[in-house]
Amino acid sequence: MRGLHRVRAEGIFYLLVLPFAALTVLFGLWPIVLSVQVSFTASATALRPDPQWVGLANYASVLGDTLFQESLWRTLAYTAMAVAANLAFALAAALLLDSKLLPRGNMAFRLILFLPVVTPDVAGYVVWRWLFDSSFGAVNAALDAAGLPAFAGLTTPATATASVLVAELWHHAGFYTLIFLANLAIRDPALEEAAKVDGAGAWARFRHVILPQLRPALVINLVYATIQFLKTFTVVVVMTKGGPAESTTFVSYLAYQYFDQARYGEATAMATILFAVVIVLSLLAYALGERGRA
Amino acid sequence: MILAYAVAIPVAAVFLFPYAWMLSGAFRRTRDVLADPLRLWPEQFDLAVLADIARIGGAPLHGFVLNSLLYTSLATVLGTLAAALGAYAITRRPRLPGFRWLRAGFLLTVMYPYMLLVVPVYIAMHKLGLLGSPLGIVLFLCLGPIQFLLFEQFFRAVPAAVIEAATIDGASEWQVLTRIVLPMAMPVTATVALIGFLLTWAQWFPVLVISRGPETYTLPVALLSLNTELGASFQGIMALAVLTTLPPAILFLIAQRRVMQGMAGGAVKG
Repeated sequence: MRGLHRVRAEGIFYLLVLPFAALTVLFGLWPIVLSVQVSFTASATALRPDPQWVGLANYASVLGDTLFQESLWRTLAYTAMAVAANLAFALAAALLLDSKLLPRGNMAFRLILFLPVVTPDVAGYVVWRWLFDSSFGAVNAALDAAGLPAFAGLTTPATATASVLVAELWHHAGFYTLIFLANLAIRDPALEEAAKVDGAGAWARFRHVILPQLRPALVINLVYATIQFLKTFTVVVVMTKGGPAESTTFVSYLAYQYFDQARYGEATAMATILFAVVIVLSLLAYALGERGRA
Repeated sequence: MILAYAVAIPVAAVFLFPYAWMLSGAFRRTRDVLADPLRLWPEQFDLAVLADIARIGGAPLHGFVLNSLLYTSLATVLGTLAAALGAYAITRRPRLPGFRWLRAGFLLTVMYPYMLLVVPVYIAMHKLGLLGSPLGIVLFLCLGPIQFLLFEQFFRAVPAAVIEAATIDGASEWQVLTRIVLPMAMPVTATVALIGFLLTWAQWFPVLVISRGPETYTLPVALLSLNTELGASFQGIMALAVLTTLPPAILFLIAQRRVMQGMAGGAVKG
């Protein structure tokens, strides 16, 4: 009797979890399994009921593909730059917003930095794509008005990467700023007072009192930003299509191109490799952030 | 202090400029923009653009607006409900067989490069017979990481004593849920629904992949396809960008505190 009652009592939890479980399995785990499965089959037969299994051939082909090798290094370099730029900007913005230096309009500044985060990325990047345009663009018109040389925008490799970085910073930095601000709000102000009494200067107080207390936000932002920028995709689709001269062909975009060419086996092998890179690097970022924790 | 404003005001101006430029671009004739790209106040409020974007890729503009509203609302309601009940069950009974595995599986899904998940989703949708169907789009859009993590964080903070007291008084699990937990969870549910709406509205890639034609496109997908169309008018693109941006922007400005606190909370937990 008691046992039966328990089964009924626990049964309700399985019932409650059912919709969430169904969605997770059908539209999350199953596609991942399918994707890994496809990566072991020949592209031409991948979507048939009885695909031809080729073992690790797709992985060997992808790892030996210079297009993939280049795009992997490009992705890693871009991720390093974007993470550094976003976190530095967000930390500076959060410190400024949290200080007493901006008493008027403080909330307005916060809203302005955060608005791009909830702006659909396609819309934001479409506008940036045209802002950088050589004939329509306001960027060059402004440089011209200020008597500065024109910015090549999306037409040369180095400037295209920089343009993509700027557009992504505009879209994402507000989120990282918000995380830093939330952390700054719960720090212990007494510690800074004590340091001040002991004669510590502004830099010393920041370096030895504030920064250690920001460790949780730093770890979260480092992990989030690393995952975010390794997966960079939408901005490339909207602004550059991977160009010019493949300079913005990151791994996810290359995989997408391969899918488009029906090279399913290689594309899914790339997806699996990128997934492994994401997991390893985010664990590394986590370990890095946790290291030296007092 | 003056120095702080000297930094903050130009930065804020750069962050806001794309919005102002997009808005004015929607009303300015293309040749006026070419003549003076920096001007923000339109020479005239030109509405001829509405004819330019009345049909995109063969489908009418109002269809995209309706799709966006319908899919986003449905996915928000269903997703919030599924996340709430799922997070509640997993938090109350973490040791039940399968629950820990399910949670880990969900977090794994979140880590998987999204755009690479979406293409196998094409195969999955094909096998389920949901390709090209609004239902397939809505069901896929339901799943979101922040939504689940916010609920989980909330339910973990519900004191065990509150639930124990009700159980001792003879309340069934169903009564505990509907009479005690859910009423307590109303504020977090509002936050999750709000954030869910904002994030779902912006989705484009799953919608594009599951769709078979422009009939099931939402505004961001229509904007993307207009932007890649050869010879599309600049003014039309800006007008469509405004339509895509305005609903979430207004919603955010109305509920700013709730959105920002929720986003920070969901992230800190995850």
